[in-house]
Amino acid sequence: MSDPVIDEREQKAAFDRYVVPEIDVLYRVARSITRNATDAEDLVQDTMLRAYRAIGRFDGRHPRAWLLTIMRNAQINRVRRKRPELMRDPDATMDRVASEDEDDADPEAQVLDRGYDAAIESALDALPEKFRTVVELVDVQALSYQEAAGILDVPTGTIMSRLHRARTRIRKHLEQHGGYVNGRPA
Amino acid sequence: MIRRPWYRRKTSPASCREVGRVLQSYLDNDMDPEWAARVAEHLEACKHCGLEEATYREIKASLSRQKSSVNEDAVARLREFGRSLTDG
Repeated sequence: MSDPVIDEREQKAAFDRYVVPEIDVLYRVARSITRNATDAEDLVQDTMLRAYRAIGRFDGRHPRAWLLTIMRNAQINRVRRKRPELMRDPDATMDRVASEDEDDADPEAQVLDRGYDAAIESALDALPEKFRTVVELVDVQALSYQEAAGILDVPTGTIMSRLHRARTRIRKHLEQHGGYVNGRPA
Repeated sequence: MIRRPWYRRKTSPASCREVGRVLQSYLDNDMDPEWAARVAEHLEACKHCGLEEATYREIKASLSRQKSSVNEDAVARLREFGRSLTDG
């Protein structure tokens, strides 16, 4: 299929319009996929370069989904190049612009939150990778089931199943290692 | 004819077992509004299920706070990289 004719000025304008606003999300997703800051940055650069070259073929609909697909393919190529025997799910996604949590808790509650958050982080780290990645995409980065399914190239039902099992594991981990029962210190 | 999910064919009040099956989807707002209202009604009345909901909401809230550690320097470098593409 031949590329639509697009001049350089249109190419740059489209890049600024569709790609630049998603850089933050792309980086967050790349961190979830690669679990390494340097690799994540390289992956986003690769994704941006591919997007820039392909922007003439992009129809302007769902730029985030389009970029995530590019990122998924870029990651597949990178993993194949580096460790062909370790090909795995190129988990990633992006971050719907979730509103920041309102910082309206009192100081005591904030201290309790920090302790709880540390326990959650530990539980997250203890998850098997395929569960952890889904949790990072949906619960941490606030992607939809559909967006997470797209970047991981699995059915939406698989995302739901992994997510629900992962949350159950997190809860059990909190009870067994963090001393939290039903979300509160035991 | 499209087959509706089991929970959308139900008309009777939600039971604990039914709520347990759909609680995660309910927390993710990935549910038919009519059924979500019935789940919410059950959660109001059932202490056990209400506690389950609160526990998972706390886990979700904590997970959403985990993303604050993104490296702003890295994002700034990527923005600069984007500018180099369009300025070059």
